[in-house]
Amino acid sequence: MTNSRTDLMQGTLELLILKTLSRTAMHGYGIAQQIHQSVDDLLRIEDGSLYPALYRMEARGWIKSEWGVSENNRRAKFYQLTRAGRKQLDAESSNWERVSKAIARVLQTA
Amino acid sequence: MTLPNQHLFRAFDRKQLENEIDEELRFHLESLTAANLQQDLTFAEAKAAALKRFGNVEQIKNQCVEISRRNRPMIRFLKVLMIALFLCGVLIRVSSTEMHVTRIGDILMFVGVMGRLLVHVRGWRPAANATDAPTVSPLMLIDRTQSADTYDRRSVTPVERLISEK
Repeated sequence: MTNSRTDLMQGTLELLILKTLSRTAMHGYGIAQQIHQSVDDLLRIEDGSLYPALYRMEARGWIKSEWGVSENNRRAKFYQLTRAGRKQLDAESSNWERVSKAIARVLQTA
Repeated sequence: MTLPNQHLFRAFDRKQLENEIDEELRFHLESLTAANLQQDLTFAEAKAAALKRFGNVEQIKNQCVEISRRNRPMIRFLKVLMIALFLCGVLIRVSSTEMHVTRIGDILMFVGVMGRLLVHVRGWRPAANATDAPTVSPLMLIDRTQSADTYDRRSVTPVERLISEK
């Protein structure tokens, strides 16, 4: 089994986080677990890389955070989508679909 | 009840910000370690696996501190205020020839420049700046013989699958 690092499109991680948070508010660990489960280990994400992305997204107003209590009764910071975040998710999702369709079309014709 | 001046001091309190980020990252690492312990690993192995999956803790913490500090409303307000003071000083300086008026302009320019430098220097950490923006994507596709089959069978990429999940 070989692993190779492949650069993906800028903003992909933000898109994954936005989509994950669209269901419910979650702490960073929960977001990481959810993404790992969803991508079935085909896509590897260093868990720590989520945090700078979360902080950047919070600064842009896409998400907001609040300290709460986790499922195992520990203090944890929960993130949730804002209205601006939902708009961003819609925009990024349709952009992703458009780009992936375009690339698929090129690959089919080439 | 939180007093307004507590918010003001919090905006400058780098230590408190670092403590909060520490707590958040520690929660993640301890949750990962606990999950690993359920897979019959020793504590040392579980912790090592958690650290490996998490990445460089100190680097991530520095990035978070910098992003958070730069975007605090009070810091942004101070930056704008200092620039405004400097520009007012310049305006006064060029529009008047009277000695005592130009001196006010000089003082405003001085306060503006020194204040802006102070705000800049308080957040200046070379190590954090060096690692501010990731040079490569934090995402990696796992290249496996098996993964090619999985792709063909499902006809969707993992990212598309996540997006299309309800």
